Amino acid sequence: MTQSESIIQLKGVDICFYVQENGFISLKDFVLNIGKYSFLKKQFVLQNINLDIKKGESIALLGKNGSGKSTLLRTLSGIIEPEKGQINIHGKVAPLLGLGVGLEHELSGIENIKLSCALMGMTQYETKQLMPEIIEFSELGDAIHWQVKRYSTGMMSRLSFSIAIMKQPEILLIDEVLSVGDIGFQHKCLKKVSDIKEAGATIIFVSHNFAEAQNMCSKAALVNNGTITHYGDINEIGPIYHQLFEN
Amino acid sequence: MLNPLLFLLILLLVFSKINHIENFGLYALSGLVFWNFISSSILQVLTSFIDNASILKSINLHPFSFPLSAIVAALINLALTLVPFFILMFFLGYQLNFSLLAVIPLLLITAIFILGVGMALGTLNVFFRDIQLLWTTIIPAFFYFTPIAYTPDLLPESTRYLLKLNPFYYFIESYHDIFYRSVVPNSFNLMVCTLLALFSFLLGYTLFKKYRKGFISNI
Repeated sequence: MTQSESIIQLKGVDICFYVQENGFISLKDFVLNIGKYSFLKKQFVLQNINLDIKKGESIALLGKNGSGKSTLLRTLSGIIEPEKGQINIHGKVAPLLGLGVGLEHELSGIENIKLSCALMGMTQYETKQLMPEIIEFSELGDAIHWQVKRYSTGMMSRLSFSIAIMKQPEILLIDEVLSVGDIGFQHKCLKKVSDIKEAGATIIFVSHNFAEAQNMCSKAALVNNGTITHYGDINEIGPIYHQLFEN
Repeated sequence: MLNPLLFLLILLLVFSKINHIENFGLYALSGLVFWNFISSSILQVLTSFIDNASILKSINLHPFSFPLSAIVAALINLALTLVPFFILMFFLGYQLNFSLLAVIPLLLITAIFILGVGMALGTLNVFFRDIQLLWTTIIPAFFYFTPIAYTPDLLPESTRYLLKLNPFYYFIESYHDIFYRSVVPNSFNLMVCTLLALFSFLLGYTLFKKYRKGFISNI
C-alpha cells in the first residue's frame, strides 16, 4: 500500500435526520392530530459532503456546536446510513464517540472490560490478551475489581477510554473524549493517540480545543451551515475557524 | 420467580372455589409460568431500543441485535426458573411424559411471536413513548381475558368464542395441553400459534425496517 492511498472517500453525501414534525411524543397527540401532519419529516443535517482522506492522515473536524460534526463521525462509523451519495471506507473503524457507553454499573471493572470488548466485536481470546494492557493503562489498580457504580466520573472515563483505545485501529474516530481524567491521564491519552498515529492509523478528531487539534492533526475540515466549507492545512483553516466566533 | 408464586397463591385462594376442575393448582401454575414469560418478555423486547439508546448511538451494532438479545435473555431466564417450577409441578401432581418434548418447538414459536409483537410495539415506542405505558396497562386486562385463572367452560356457551379472539389464548391453551392435560398440543391451536408468530414477526420486522432510519434522531 502506498502512503497516498485513499482510505476514506465521501462523494456527495447527504445525511438526514427523521424528526417528528410536530414533536409528538405520545400516541395520544398523534391520534388527536391524525391526518394533519405527516409522521416523519426529513431534515437535512449535512449536505453534499465530499472528503478524500489518505491513509495515515489525521484530520481535525472543526465547527460550532450542532454543526453536524458528531453526525458525520456517526456516518463514518456506520451508525447512520447516508441518504444519498457514496461512502467508501477501506479499513476497520474504531469509533470513540462517547465514553461510558455500554458500561454496566452493577458489574465490576474487569467484567465491564469483557462486556465492552464483546460489544466492539472482539473475540474472547483477543480480550484475554488485551486485558493486562487495559488494566495497566487505566491505572485503576485494585479499583478494577470494584463495581463500576462506585467509580467517579473520571475513573469511568479512564476505564472506557482504556478499553476503546487498546486495539490498534486502522481508522480512529475521536469525538471530544480526550479531555477526560486528570492532567496526567490526559497527557497519557494524547500520547497513546500519537502512538497509534505513528503506527500508521488514520485519525479523525473532533475537538473544540484548537491547540490540541493543531498538535494532533496536520489537516482540518471546517463544518459550517450543514456542509464542509473549508478543507486543507490546519494552519490555514485556523483563522477561518476563529472568525466564525467573532460575530 | 416470586411474582408467579404469589399469584398462584391468590388464584388458589380466590378462584379454586369457582373452578370445579381436577387439580386447579397445576392448571393455574402451568398457565401462570408461561403467561409471565410471554408478558414480561414482550415488555423487554419492547423497551430494548430505548434502554440501549446510548449504545445504539455510539457503537456500530445492527439494531436488530437489541430485541434479539432481549428474547434470548428471557429464554435463558425462563429455563432457569423452570427448574423450581418443575419441582412444584411434581408436588401438584404432574407426571413426566413424552408430550413434554413438544414444549421445545412451542417455545420457539412463542419466542418468534414475542419478538414480532415486541418489535412492532418497540419501534412505535421509539416515536411514541406512551406505547410502553399503554402496554403495561392493557396486559393485566389480557390476563383475565386469557383462561389462566379459570377454564373456558366456565363461560356460557354463547360467549366462549370471544376467548378465541385473543391471540394469547392459543399459546396458553397449548401450554395447558402439555403441562396440565399431558397431551401433545391441539394441532389446530398449534397452527394458529404458528400463523400468529409468522404474522407478528413479519409485521414487527417490516415496521422495524421501515422506521429504523429514524431511531438515531428520535431516541
